[in-house]
Amino acid sequence: MSDPIIELRNVSFRYPGADDDTLRNVNLTISEGDVVSVVGGNGSAKTTLCKTFNGLIPHYWQGEFAGVAEVCGIDTFTSSVAELSSHVGYVYQDFQNQLVRPTVRDEIAFGPVNFGLADHRERTAEALEMLRITELADKFVWQLSGGQAHLAALASVLALRPRIIVVDEPVAELDPARAMEIYERLEVLNREFGLTVVTIEHHAEFIARYAQSVVLMSGGAPVWHLPVQEAVNRSAELAEHGIPAPQIVQAAQALGLADAPRTVPDAARALAHLPVDPTPEPETGTEGASTSEVVASVRGVTFSYNTVLGRRQVVLDGLNVDIRRGDRVALVGGNGSGKTTLLKLLAGITVPRRGEVIVDGINTRQRSASELADHVAYLWQHPQQMFVKESIERDIALFPEERGVEGWEGLVTDTLDQVRLSGFADRDGRTLSGGQQRRATLGIGLAMRPTLLLADEPTASLDVTSREAVTVMLSELATDGTMSSVVATHDMSLVAEWATRVLVLEGGTVIGDLTPGALFARPDLLERANLVPPQITQLGHALGITPPPLNVADFVSRIRKESHHGA
Amino acid sequence: MARKQRDVLSVEWIKLELIRAAYATRGGLFSRMDPRVVLLWYVILAFAPWFTHNLTVLAVFFVMAAVSVILARVGPLLLGLFIFGLIMEAGYIVVAAWFFGGDSATVVALAALSLKLGAVSMVSMAAFVSLDPEKLSDALLALKAPELLAFAVSYGYRMLPILVEEFNTVFDNYRLRSAPPATKGLLGWRVVVHWVKMSVLSFYPIFLNTALSVRTTVEALETRGFTYATINRRSREIRLGYLRVSLLDVAVMAVTVGLVIAAFWAGHQWPIHRADLA
Repeated sequence: MSDPIIELRNVSFRYPGADDDTLRNVNLTISEGDVVSVVGGNGSAKTTLCKTFNGLIPHYWQGEFAGVAEVCGIDTFTSSVAELSSHVGYVYQDFQNQLVRPTVRDEIAFGPVNFGLADHRERTAEALEMLRITELADKFVWQLSGGQAHLAALASVLALRPRIIVVDEPVAELDPARAMEIYERLEVLNREFGLTVVTIEHHAEFIARYAQSVVLMSGGAPVWHLPVQEAVNRSAELAEHGIPAPQIVQAAQALGLADAPRTVPDAARALAHLPVDPTPEPETGTEGASTSEVVASVRGVTFSYNTVLGRRQVVLDGLNVDIRRGDRVALVGGNGSGKTTLLKLLAGITVPRRGEVIVDGINTRQRSASELADHVAYLWQHPQQMFVKESIERDIALFPEERGVEGWEGLVTDTLDQVRLSGFADRDGRTLSGGQQRRATLGIGLAMRPTLLLADEPTASLDVTSREAVTVMLSELATDGTMSSVVATHDMSLVAEWATRVLVLEGGTVIGDLTPGALFARPDLLERANLVPPQITQLGHALGITPPPLNVADFVSRIRKESHHGA
Repeated sequence: MARKQRDVLSVEWIKLELIRAAYATRGGLFSRMDPRVVLLWYVILAFAPWFTHNLTVLAVFFVMAAVSVILARVGPLLLGLFIFGLIMEAGYIVVAAWFFGGDSATVVALAALSLKLGAVSMVSMAAFVSLDPEKLSDALLALKAPELLAFAVSYGYRMLPILVEEFNTVFDNYRLRSAPPATKGLLGWRVVVHWVKMSVLSFYPIFLNTALSVRTTVEALETRGFTYATINRRSREIRLGYLRVSLLDVAVMAVTVGLVIAAFWAGHQWPIHRADLA
């Protein structure tokens, strides 16, 4: 147990103008070199706690502060944000808003230059090297992908050579492959450079795999601060506080294991003694044998665009796909594979360079996008961009009212009921939580009564409970079979639980058109498209269960059935 | 009607050209100069035309400005808008002169004004297209502008592509979800009104979304020493340390000043005033 680097003694804090204390008598010690995950439900004051480390509380947020907070031996109350920022680096959840300079190099040098440090060039090079992003140095900030921007934000705080790094929700906006990269880099920073890492996290699988200790927050104070194995074992308590256990832990506990496994290889080792049925089960899903009518058709489509520096970037190259009535299609593929472009082509927002897109018998070249909106609803990736009116009720009513749909008031009320937001009807969409915003956008799409509903990453940036709510809602919407949905996503649990058909995009064409079960049995496709299957599927692979299970219940029943046979 | 993907004269093209103009991606003579000298050059040529009514002098300035636009490699969008504006202006000057019972004297007077404005506009385009955000904010800082102004300029440039994209998205939302006008009207005027209305309405959600996102920005600036830098002179010295006046800068300034003097001399030798042409 090394020396404490952060010590909070009886710290309480109330935001200016608030009725109650946000932090209540917090006592917490974090040792140097630790990798701590701070977890807790909404409103448990995780972010407030982390802001006491770098002095934003109480110097920037000038509320009522009591108690003593010592960071690197400095009392934060008598110090300043400027001084503490050279000891504690803070990366925000919405890291894009933290990037203020036009180029990456200038962004990283911004901190050292502001503090008048003569060696700012060396510090910049050092920070770029530590995160292995030296090739991004001269790129413009708006050219960066999500993952690159996150690393740039991290590099910009590293330039001040802090001993502690706080990262708020490292995984929120990224796809699973990128998310692991961020955590790997944080691990390197901890192991090789001795930095203390504090993350605010609610994805249990990352906590289990990368953290060394866990702080559970509730109601403004830590409930406990335990080493990670003990914390992960307390999965029921974590679930109560809004952190459902990772799939492998759920499976292990259902099968009676004492110690919760932290990674898939651990789980595979622990369960290896259970007999596995060697004969593969027959494939129960049908692969593309549907006989319903075709509602949308993409024929030989090519799409490319010009970049700022004059190069032409090809996105789609000779793509063919048919969408049938009642289909629940998940569109997957790496960054830049053309998922959003394909959705926009189906919605008629853009037209292809070559080829045709036919929706409901109408060629998108023959109609304007506003006319095609009678048949297709497109839901943007960021819900805030869809809220154009002062309340979600007005937003939902915009389409049916302006187009003179009969009985539109009743339609709006019914839609609000369907997405379970009747109580929020008069609120501006921006004041809602992430999950509620997504449901509101689903409501906007439903009120358009489309033949085809297109959604771009509907579960991105949501915590697990909200994600599950949106997945369930998407399933409910498609039950009567008249509406087809196409969802672009990198959330493999959405694919596993909701989709009936998966289109894998890579290199501008469809490289796979299969059921989710068939997709997860094809490691070559998963590799090419840079996809990470759900944990339980990975575990099924490792234990040799074919076809691999798509959810925990499936997995548990297979093992139980086999051990029952063997018993 | 058949929609095609267009590379020129489409919304995508306009967005690209805006970014290319803002980020000086085309290079050009002035992008290689010290930004402080570029600003000084701009100030000289922006003020000089206002000191005379002599058409000879103004014509020389106009030609100088046109040459600088070519040297600065101003892009087709801005050039196109400028020429379009110039032609429309010439058009309505003639119409106004004829309609209000003026004669050729009025046209000449208004033409002198057009030459002045044209020269100043072209010089502005040449200067600002050549300065990328870093250089512009550093130049302002060097000329003793407040730190907040210099930061605001570079932050504005950084946000420009994002805001343009967001505007496009919100506008598309309106386009898809509101109803197009039932009839197109004479020359499609109803469609134009509808589009203008949607453009204006699109600004409000952007204001709100930006207000939400800058809360993090302001907090983050605090942790990066932004307010600390306003009281610490060293950061200013470091930031401006790379600015260096070179031979190119001296040469361009010398040529410019020489041409200005030559312009006034020519105007003295061969003066053409409004009274002469009336």
